[in-house]
Amino acid sequence: MSVLPVSLIVILLNFTIAPIGSYLLWKFIIGSVFIIMGLTIFLFGVELGIQPIGSLMGETITKSKKIWIVILFGFILGFFINIAEPDLQVLARQVSNITSGVLSQISLVVVVSVGIGIMVALGLLRIVFSIPINKLLTVLYGIILLLAVFSSESFHGIAFDSGGATTGSMTVPFILALGLGVASFKGGTEAEEDSFGLVGIASTGPMIAVFTMSILSSIEKLTGVSSIQVGEERGILSSYIHEIPIVTYEVLMALLPFLILFILFNHLSFELKRRQLRKIFLGLLYTFVGFILFLVGVNAGFMEAGRAIGQTIALIGKDWLVILTGFILGLTVILAEPAVYVLNEQIEDVTSGHIRKSLILFSLAVGVAVAVALSMIRILNPSVHLWHFLLPGYLLAILLTYFTPKLFVGIAFDSGGVASGPMTATFILAFSQGVAGAIPGADVLLDGFGVISMVALTPLIAIQILGILFERKAAKRS
Amino acid sequence: MQTDVVNYRFILTMVVANHGDGSKVLSEAKKIGIPGGTIFFGKGTVHNHLLEMLGIDEEKKEIVILASEAAYEDELHERLNNKFNMHKPGKGIMVSLPINKLLYTHNCVEEDSNRDLETGGKKEMEYQAIFIIVDRGLGHEVVDVATEAGAKGATIINARGSGIHEKEMFFSINIEPEKEIVMIIIKKELTDAIINAVKEKMKIDEPGRGIIFVMDVSKASGLRD
Repeated sequence: MSVLPVSLIVILLNFTIAPIGSYLLWKFIIGSVFIIMGLTIFLFGVELGIQPIGSLMGETITKSKKIWIVILFGFILGFFINIAEPDLQVLARQVSNITSGVLSQISLVVVVSVGIGIMVALGLLRIVFSIPINKLLTVLYGIILLLAVFSSESFHGIAFDSGGATTGSMTVPFILALGLGVASFKGGTEAEEDSFGLVGIASTGPMIAVFTMSILSSIEKLTGVSSIQVGEERGILSSYIHEIPIVTYEVLMALLPFLILFILFNHLSFELKRRQLRKIFLGLLYTFVGFILFLVGVNAGFMEAGRAIGQTIALIGKDWLVILTGFILGLTVILAEPAVYVLNEQIEDVTSGHIRKSLILFSLAVGVAVAVALSMIRILNPSVHLWHFLLPGYLLAILLTYFTPKLFVGIAFDSGGVASGPMTATFILAFSQGVAGAIPGADVLLDGFGVISMVALTPLIAIQILGILFERKAAKRS
Repeated sequence: MQTDVVNYRFILTMVVANHGDGSKVLSEAKKIGIPGGTIFFGKGTVHNHLLEMLGIDEEKKEIVILASEAAYEDELHERLNNKFNMHKPGKGIMVSLPINKLLYTHNCVEEDSNRDLETGGKKEMEYQAIFIIVDRGLGHEVVDVATEAGAKGATIINARGSGIHEKEMFFSINIEPEKEIVMIIIKKELTDAIINAVKEKMKIDEPGRGIIFVMDVSKASGLRD
């Protein structure tokens, strides 16, 4: 499965309404192969390496039975795992660019990481003290809403994007497993419900951090220019070779904190058997190799193709065609998001298979499809603003938490961070920028932002509606 | 009832199926009249040097347990064997074991076999294993009730499953509610007290509330008296 549906759609588009040329098409097809291999290896690696580390750390922290240890390590883990996240580096560079350097890249990275650290600690405390997840989310999103009102509107897109963007493909499995490890001590239904939601809570950290910084630095207008590079014409092969060292460095940096923290923890308390240790190191190696292949495929093969399709379709001049294409791409692209599989596995494990993978996947796909379609409407109509979707969307999402079974609330808010992974951040973003570039009056830079936040929002609603329907059915039995 | 063919009335059939096949096994079993089943996850090993070296020598499995009257034994094996090609390697295994007592609702008639198993010349069995399957979240209550009735401890296994009384659908998907399997190993003389207490408190004889079965255990270690 994985990337095949979206590949077929692109190939189909190429031979019908949106020819992108044989050069881009071949790059795209090679990219698909890279992604299929990379995703498979990566997921093996996550299961063998990242997830056991997360669960072990969660259990160790909880076993200490000291609240200050939970707070301290929650913060440290959240901070260090995120500070190296490649997605965060990209985001920080963009913010730094559009604010003409008023907010420096490094200060942004640190502040956002602190935000995530605080939220991970808070999320763990929630599990320990059994604070209802909907109340905590109401407070957190209340703060975000308040901050959004007081900050300049041009900041909305990037701030809301930051929540989805920074919870990357390696952080999500780790934070998921961390929450699972802590919750596993509770037993019964409570353990199950509390196993989810930590990613959702963590992803509010970056939003609060970016908003706060924008208010404190009192930036009114974003002045920078688009940092989108127009790809140089390289040979098909050499463009892949060009990507490998860049991606390798990024993945290595992202993986390093896991390795260091694991070795540290292992010395202090895990005392693993050699066989287990070997498996975890092998797992980290697979994660490394798999993620490099995946990202090389996405960056070298998908980004330009996405932009070309967006541009070609927008130039046809039929609005409904752009919206429909966005919908279909959104529907299929979610199948290639690595973290989605990790979340699904965890849901299946925790509920012993009660909640089927296919249900979650289907709801996510519909959610993301709607998100991309709405984003297209926004790009096509300059009078439609991002907050026209985000405000009612988040209000609805928060309102639903009071009617949705708790397990699904956690899953829903986690899936927001899960859905907005590297595929969205590159392929869908590039597609939107392609469309925006071809529409007079659309701002390539500003309209590009906001797509990720839409993709991070709609799953919250889709999964919660699924939860309400599902539990209503399940409760009906005698 | 062909009690003259087999000397036991109830069996527990355990199927170790490939990941994703558990629900199919259960629905096949229900088709021939098995009242219900419970599914939980396990891991199986793969004997392959290359995979072992790569660290991917574990495979997710689903274990389905089906309690039924012994008369279904042959039909069940034949049907699942054909359906899942279990004679081929890597397609799963299934075993059936005799059980002493089986309690569940069958049109509100309680089924109970008071016949003891023939122990085949061995010494009288001292211990029994009681399995109580209830809805998720009720396991702790079961343990409390059982402890009051004399149990020293219990193990809870997370599972999912459904009986003939539970057949809610979500679009085309069968909802299998989450369950907990409570396992208690106990001296034989205490068995009846415990299952009666649990039956009473958890209302096992009402439809869809749960199932209890008891097996003889030929040896037990690590139990405190």
